[in-house]
Amino acid sequence: MIDLVAAELLKLRSTRTALGLLIAAVLVGLAPAVLILIFAPAEVLEDETVGGFGFLVTGVTVVPLLGLVFGILSMTNEYRHGTITYSYLVTPRRARVIAVKLFVCFGVGIVVLALVGSLVTLTAIIGYEVRSLELETSFLFEDGVAETLALVLLAAGLMAALGVGLGALFRNQPATVAGTLIWALAGENIVVSLKPAVGQYLPFAALQQVVTGGVTVSTGAEVGLSRPEAFLVSLGYIAVVSIAAVYTTMRRDVT
Amino acid sequence: MPVVHVEHLSKRFGKRVLAVDDVSFALEKGSITGFLGPNGAGKTTTLRMIVDLVRPTAGSIAVFDGRYRDLPRPWTRVGALLDASGFHPGRSGANALGVVARASGIPAARVAEVLELVELEGAARRAVKGYSTGMRQRLALACVLLGDPDLLLLDEPANGLDPEGMRWLRTFLRARAAEGKTILVSSHVLAEVEQTVDDVLIISRGRLVARGPLASLDAGASPVVRLRSPQAELLQRHLEERGAAVNRLGDALAIRGPSAPEVGEAAHQCGAVLHELITERPSLEDLFLEIAGTRRPES
Repeated sequence: MIDLVAAELLKLRSTRTALGLLIAAVLVGLAPAVLILIFAPAEVLEDETVGGFGFLVTGVTVVPLLGLVFGILSMTNEYRHGTITYSYLVTPRRARVIAVKLFVCFGVGIVVLALVGSLVTLTAIIGYEVRSLELETSFLFEDGVAETLALVLLAAGLMAALGVGLGALFRNQPATVAGTLIWALAGENIVVSLKPAVGQYLPFAALQQVVTGGVTVSTGAEVGLSRPEAFLVSLGYIAVVSIAAVYTTMRRDVT
Repeated sequence: MPVVHVEHLSKRFGKRVLAVDDVSFALEKGSITGFLGPNGAGKTTTLRMIVDLVRPTAGSIAVFDGRYRDLPRPWTRVGALLDASGFHPGRSGANALGVVARASGIPAARVAEVLELVELEGAARRAVKGYSTGMRQRLALACVLLGDPDLLLLDEPANGLDPEGMRWLRTFLRARAAEGKTILVSSHVLAEVEQTVDDVLIISRGRLVARGPLASLDAGASPVVRLRSPQAELLQRHLEERGAAVNRLGDALAIRGPSAPEVGEAAHQCGAVLHELITERPSLEDLFLEIAGTRRPES
C-alpha cells in the first residue's frame, strides 16, 4: 500500500492539474482576505460581530469545493487519458486503487485547507499590523474551537474523498464535475430552502454543517445538525459512494 | 506447465456482440506466439481478459497457474502492452514509467535502464504529448519491461512504427526470446511478425481458426502455376476439363491443382505454345488472409 501511495503522490506531482488547483485554492482563499484588509474601513475590521477572523476567511470556505473538484479529476483523469489501464494492470485488485486515491485525496484536502487557512491567518496578522489595528484572536483559544477546526479540516478531506468516489462512479469528467457542482451549489440549496428538514441531510449540506453547525434557512432561522452529527452523516455518504464506486469498478470492463 | 492456459474462453458485449467465442490455447515457456487476425477479430479482448481488464462471459484463464489478480506484484511477472496511448500527455516519459515502477515496487533506477533499452533516454524528461506515435510505442514497450517479466503480452506493438522501428521491434523481440521470455504478440499484419514468431494462433470473428507452428501454415498451402501463352483460352478450357481451377487475364493463366510439369504436358497435348511457366508459392500473407477470412472454425 505504501508503494501505491507513493505512486499516487508522484501522479499528483508530475502533472499540472494538482498544482493548478493548489494555486487556485490559494488565490481563492487569499483574494477576499487581501481585498478586505486593503479596502475595508478600520471600524469594520475591528468590529467583533462582523469583522475579525470570520470576515477574512470568506474565501477559505470555497477551498473544500476545489478539493471536491480535485478528487473528481484525480479519478476521471485516469479514464480520460487511459492511464487506468496501467493502474489496474499493476494493481489488479481495483478496490486498492480506489482506496489509495480516497486516502491520498482525503489527505490532500486537509493539507490544502490547512495551508490556505494558515496563509490567510498570516496575511491577516500582517494586514492588521500594517494598518495598526488589533486583530481579535482570543476566540481561537476558547473551548471547542480546536475540535471545530479539526472537524472543518476533516470535512475538507471528506469533500475531496467524495470527489474520488463520484469520479469512480461516473467516470465522465465534464459531466461529473458540472453535475456535482450544480447539485452542490444550486440543487441542494433549493431543497434546503424548501424542505430544511430533508435538505439538512443532503450530502453537501451535511458537509457544510460540519463547518457551520446548522444551516440558516430563508426565514433566517437556524436549523439543522450539530457539527458531530453532520460529520457522521457526511461519513455515511462517503462510505456509500465509495462502496458503490468499488462495486461498479470491479465489475466494469476496461476496454 | 503452460505459462498461460486459456480454456473455452468467451466474451459477449451486450446481447449482440460475441467478441470472443470458445477460444482455447496454451503458451509454453520460452515460446514466441503470433496472435493473428483481422481488426475486430477478438485479439485485444482476449489479451485484456488474460490480465483481468475484461471479465470473461465464460471459460477460464490461468496465468502462471493462477489468476492474474492473485499474482504478487503482477507487473514483475507479466508485461502487457495493450494501449500505447495510456500515458498522461502532460507527464514526462520518465515520470509516466516512474508511476508504474513505484506502484509495482520496482526500483526507480530501473526506469532509466528501460528508457535506454528502447532508445528513449534523450526524451525522458519531455512530456509524452510531444512524443511521436513510434516514441509512444517504445515508451509502452519500456513500461512493459520495467519489471523484467517472464511473460510479455504485446497487442499490435508495431502500430505506428516506421520501417526502422519495425526492424528495431524484431530485434527487440528476438532479444527477449533469447532471454527465455514467453511472448504473445498480436497483429493484423502477418508480415510484421512472421520473421519473429515460432507458432501462430489465428482468430477470426472471435473464433480460433488455426494454430500451430508457422511452418505448418506454409506446408498446407497449394502452389499456383503461372504461365503465358498465345493460346491461353484454349489451354484454359483444356485444363478445366481436367479439373484444374484456372483464372485467365489476357494471355496469362493462374492454375491451382496440377503441378508445373503436368501443366506443361497438358499444353503439349493441346498444341499450346508456352512463353513462360513458373510455380509460385502463395505468401504467408495470402495464406493468413485466406484462413482468417474463410476457414471454418475448428470444431
